[in-house]
Amino acid sequence: MLAAAAGPRMAKPSPWWLFLSFSATLKIVSMEQGAVPTCPPQCHCEEDGIMLSVDCSELALTSVPDSLSSFTAYLDLSMNNISELIPGDFHHLRFLEELRLSGNQLSKIPGEVFSGLYNLKILMLQNNQLSRIPAEALCDLPNLQSLRLDANLISVVPEKSFEGMPSLRHLWLDDNALTEIPVKALNNLPALQAMTLALNQIWHIPDYAFQNLTSLVVLHLHNNQIQSLGIQGFEGLHSLETLDLNYNELVEFPVAIRTLSQLQELGFHNNNVKAIPEKAFAGNPLLQIMTLTRAGIHLLPGEMCQQLPSLRVLELSHNQIEELPSFHRCQKLEEISLQHNRIHEIRADTFRQLTALRSIDLSWNFIQTIHPEAFVTLHSLIKLDLTDNQLVTLPLSGLSALTHLKLKGNPALSESFPKENFPKMRVLEVPYAYQCCAYGACGNFFKVSNQWDSEDMSPEDEDAHKRSSGLFPSHPDNHYDMDMEDFQLEMEDTKLHPNIQCTPSPGPFKPCDHLFE
Amino acid sequence: MNPSVSQPCPGGCATCSEYNGCVTCKPRFFFFLERIGIRQTGVCLTSCPSGYYGKRFPEPNACTKCKADCEACFNNNFCTKCKNGFYLHLGKCLENCPEWLEPNNYTMECNDIVH
Repeated sequence: MLAAAAGPRMAKPSPWWLFLSFSATLKIVSMEQGAVPTCPPQCHCEEDGIMLSVDCSELALTSVPDSLSSFTAYLDLSMNNISELIPGDFHHLRFLEELRLSGNQLSKIPGEVFSGLYNLKILMLQNNQLSRIPAEALCDLPNLQSLRLDANLISVVPEKSFEGMPSLRHLWLDDNALTEIPVKALNNLPALQAMTLALNQIWHIPDYAFQNLTSLVVLHLHNNQIQSLGIQGFEGLHSLETLDLNYNELVEFPVAIRTLSQLQELGFHNNNVKAIPEKAFAGNPLLQIMTLTRAGIHLLPGEMCQQLPSLRVLELSHNQIEELPSFHRCQKLEEISLQHNRIHEIRADTFRQLTALRSIDLSWNFIQTIHPEAFVTLHSLIKLDLTDNQLVTLPLSGLSALTHLKLKGNPALSESFPKENFPKMRVLEVPYAYQCCAYGACGNFFKVSNQWDSEDMSPEDEDAHKRSSGLFPSHPDNHYDMDMEDFQLEMEDTKLHPNIQCTPSPGPFKPCDHLFE
Repeated sequence: MNPSVSQPCPGGCATCSEYNGCVTCKPRFFFFLERIGIRQTGVCLTSCPSGYYGKRFPEPNACTKCKADCEACFNNNFCTKCKNGFYLHLGKCLENCPEWLEPNNYTMECNDIVH
């Protein structure tokens, strides 16, 4: 059971008072209708003590059943054909805590229909036809904590929409038709902790748009058309930890994030900002995960790591970065993704002293030179991807802990890679088959895993393959779960004789090309 | 009506098959793979079941698992209801409340200390 908000505290009722009011209510209710709670026809009911959970979903109902028991605490009316609610439909359900009306045809909701539902905590209205927020119906829900209004047609948010729900914590307004931030309506939500306004047509974030949302921890604004953002746009969001601005049209990096002192995760991929200004992260010392994929970035600020002592994951793939700053001060960095950029050099100080760094992806760049000491201090590095660059040689010092090394697509890299240099190697991809001979007789000792048989994969597929490890396409935001490689690795550790998957594996159809040149 | 099935597809399904249930969903629905024993059946939902959350994108949406200690969540980092034995505080499930907060064993939440 969910309950009172952690935000503004209500006076704490003494247990004696609670017992008295509960039994008084019970007497009224049981007098009103027979002692035994009834289950509406076709619905499925379950008793939980004297309370009732009633599931009337997917019954093609066109109206709310009228024989609902007053002891109903949970009512699911989702996925029916209800197009109209009648005032009084729910007025006797004093114990109702969760009401599901999603997946119906509601285009409007009359004013008093939810009145009296003082115990209601969860109200689901998603997947309906609402074009405006039914403010009159929501005006007196003192204990409501979760309100779902996503997947409707809402373009109008009256100023008083949320005045009657001081305990609201979670608000879904995504997948609607909003063209602007409902600033005034959002001024009355002191307990709000998580909100999504994603998948709308919002084009601008004005100054002080969220100024009273002091408890907000998560704000999703992805998949809008945001082009501009007031410098004070995020003022007031003192508790914000996650900000998702992915898939928008920002042409300037939002310096407004400077006021977000608690920010831990920033999603900013698929925008078009060209450069990140110096001191862009001056106000975000706790930032841990930053996703800047496909953000149109050419230039990174030289001192960015000075401001990011907590950064663990930095995603910068699919940009136009030519030169890298030193990431030296990002001391907690564990993963850095720089694939699909225009980098041509790795200097001695690029990754210096990043002792927690486990994974570097530099595939699909123009790297010709790597300083001999570039990897020397990277004691935790286990994955290095240099696929499709212009390497002639690879400095090996500092790479002894590698389990994954990918070098395919570097035609001038013909040196051999002695096994002694890579005692923990599991997955090795090299430009030429003969370079795999060092890892066992040139027979079929190697098990070619289909997971890394990426010769036929286009770069796009390879990225998608990396991300999606389940049945259905996952999204970039999910790729921080354990992925197939880690799972594979764990499987490998349990085997008696772990194989090294070296590709392309030598064989009759892959002769030692280099020897014949 | 789906050519490969005699009856109509259940609500929310765009295509379905007799053995696999829903194969694709209509827009604005979340795809979820229900496991009953060894059998897996696709369903299309307006909200994901307990222990899962649905994040909406332009392309087809799917239910994603919440964190292990979380029974209902807003996204993979923000829990709205913890599993038994954990206290909820600002989206996190804690085994114990921080010392500046007071555990409420009725609501299983960490509340501000009232002096």
